[in-house]
Amino acid sequence: MRSRILVAVLVALLGLPLVPPARAQNALVVSVWGGNWKNTVESVIGKAFTAKTGIPVEYEVGGTIDRLAKARVAKGNPLVDLNFTTTHVARLYISDGLYEKLDMAKLPNAREIAKEAFRSDFHLGVWAYVYTVVYRPDLVKEEITKWSDLWKPSLKGKIAMPDFDPSHIITIAALMEGGDEVNWRKGEARLRQLKDSVAAFYSTDAQSQDLMKTGQGPVQVMLSVNAYHLQEQGIPVKLVQPADHPGIVGIDTMAVMAGTKRADAAHQFINLALSKEIQTELVKALRAGPVNLGATVPANLKGQPGIFVSAAEWKQRGYIMNDDARAKNLPGWREWFTANVVKK
Amino acid sequence: MKLLLVPAVVVLAVFAAALAALFRWSLLEFIPGSLQTGGLTLANFRGVLAPQYLGAVRDTVVLSALTTVLTLVCAYPVAYVLARTPSRRVRSALLVLILAPFFTGAIVRTYAWMLVLGNTVVTWPVPMLFTERGVLVGLVHFSMPTMILILAAALSHVDPVYERAAASLGARPFRVFWRVTLPLSMPGIVSGGLIVFAWTLSAFPTPELLGGGKVKMIANVVKDLGLDSFNWPGAAAFAMLALALTLALLTAVGRLSAGRAT
Repeated sequence: MRSRILVAVLVALLGLPLVPPARAQNALVVSVWGGNWKNTVESVIGKAFTAKTGIPVEYEVGGTIDRLAKARVAKGNPLVDLNFTTTHVARLYISDGLYEKLDMAKLPNAREIAKEAFRSDFHLGVWAYVYTVVYRPDLVKEEITKWSDLWKPSLKGKIAMPDFDPSHIITIAALMEGGDEVNWRKGEARLRQLKDSVAAFYSTDAQSQDLMKTGQGPVQVMLSVNAYHLQEQGIPVKLVQPADHPGIVGIDTMAVMAGTKRADAAHQFINLALSKEIQTELVKALRAGPVNLGATVPANLKGQPGIFVSAAEWKQRGYIMNDDARAKNLPGWREWFTANVVKK
Repeated sequence: MKLLLVPAVVVLAVFAAALAALFRWSLLEFIPGSLQTGGLTLANFRGVLAPQYLGAVRDTVVLSALTTVLTLVCAYPVAYVLARTPSRRVRSALLVLILAPFFTGAIVRTYAWMLVLGNTVVTWPVPMLFTERGVLVGLVHFSMPTMILILAAALSHVDPVYERAAASLGARPFRVFWRVTLPLSMPGIVSGGLIVFAWTLSAFPTPELLGGGKVKMIANVVKDLGLDSFNWPGAAAFAMLALALTLALLTAVGRLSAGRAT
C-alpha cells in the first residue's frame, strides 16, 4: 500500500510541469521577448489596452526561437493569442500556418501606418530600427562615416558583428559590389577581406552591449535600439548614418495566432498598438522608429538612425530586405559566413 | 519492491523517446525558409560532415582532452592538501574556496573571466579573450572544483601507512608519490578524468562567451544550426553524430583507464 502511494506521488510530481500555468479568465496572452521589450509592451500597450477594454493581459516571454518552437508544438490550440517577432521570422510562422489572416476592418489605425510596415496579410510592423555602424569615439580615434570604413586596415581587430544573423553585413557587402540580398554572392570577395578585422562575433544583444562597454568590440554592426540604450547608460557611443549605403532596417511585427479564441481582443490590441498615441509613447520608451506616420517624435530623435517620420524617410534612410529572400537564404548565408569569415 | 523502479523506468522512457524524436528529425529534409520538412533523407548527415563542422568536432575533442589533463594537474596538489592536512582550519578554508564557484553559476564565472582575460584587469602578453587559450582557461576553472573533490575523496582512502612504509624503506618523497600515492589514487583520477572529459565535450556557455564566436564546440554548433539557421534537421543530425562520437570516446577512454586503474 505504502509503495503504491509513493508511486502515485512520484507520478503526480512528474506530471506537474505538464500542467499549464494558471491564467486569469479571458486574459489576452501576448508572446514577446523578455527584458526591456516585455517591459515596454506591458507598460505602454498592455496597460492602456486593459484600461480601455477591461481585458487583462498576460505575457509569455522568451527568445525568438524558443517561442517559435512552443508555437509549433501547440499548433491549432495556441498557448498565446498574439505574437511579437521579427518580420523574417514571422515568415516561418506563416509558412507553418501558425498565424491567422488579419481582419483589416478591425484595424482602422493600420490606415495610418507606413506601407513598409504592411509585411503581409498576416503580420504588421509595430516599430522599426536599423542595424548600422556604431563606435566608441573615445577608443577609435578616426571618424567613421560609412560602411566602407569597416574595411580600413586601421580598424583591424576592433570590429564586432552578429554571427547569429550575418544578413546585414552580407547585404551591405553585396550592395557595395552592385548586388543585393538576392545577388549576394557579388560581395563574397569583399566579405572575406573582413575576416582579420573582426575581434569577436556576438550572438545576443547583451553580448553586443558588453563588447561595446568593455571596449572589446569598439566598432560594431549594431542594433540602433541597443546603441541608444548604451547612450542612456552614459557609454559614449556614436551611431553612424552611413554615407555610402543606408542602415539595414529591422521591423518587429505583431500577429494573431491561428486557432486563438481571443482573436477579437488580439485585433483590438494590435489596433491600439498602431495608434498615434501609443506609437508616440513607444518611440520615447524604446528609441525605435514609429510605424504610424502621425506619431510625434521628440526633437532629439528626429533624423537619428532607425527613426523614420515620413514615407520619404522610410524609403531613403533605410534599406529593407526582402523578408522571403532573407528567411530562405539565412541558413545558407550562415554556413558560408561561418566557413569563410568566422572560421580561424 | 519492483514498483520502486517505476520512476527510473519512466525517466528512461522519456529520454529514449526524446532520442528517438531527435533521430527522426535528423532524417527529415530541411526546407530553407520554412518550418515544414520534406521526406526522409540522409542529406543532413552528409551536410554536417562538411569541414567546418568536423573542425568543430576536432576542436571539441582537443579542448576536452587538454582540459582534462590540465584540470588534473592543477587539481591534484589542492586535493592532496585537502585530504592530508591535519589542520581543520586549513581544510575548512580550502573547502570554502573550492566550493565558492559552485554558488556563482557558470554564466557569472564566465563573465568574470571575460574581464580578466580581456586586458582590462591584467595585460596579457598574448591575446587570451576570444581564443582557444581563453576558452581552455575557462573550462579548466569550471572543472577544477569537481575534480578536486573527487581526487580528495580518492586520496583520503589511501592509507598513509603505505607512504610511511615506503619512506622508511628509503624511498625519497617524489618516489613515494610516484610509486605509491599516485597509483593508489588512480580510481579517483579515472573517475574525475572521465567526468571532466564528458562534460567538457558538451560545454556551451564557456566557449560561447570566451570564444567570441570564433571558437565553436559541438554544443555551440548545434545551437547555431537549430536556433540561428532554423535548420532543426541539421541540428538533430549533428547532435546524433556528436552523441555517437561522445559514446565512442567515453567507451574508449573508460576501457583504457580501467586497465590503468586496476
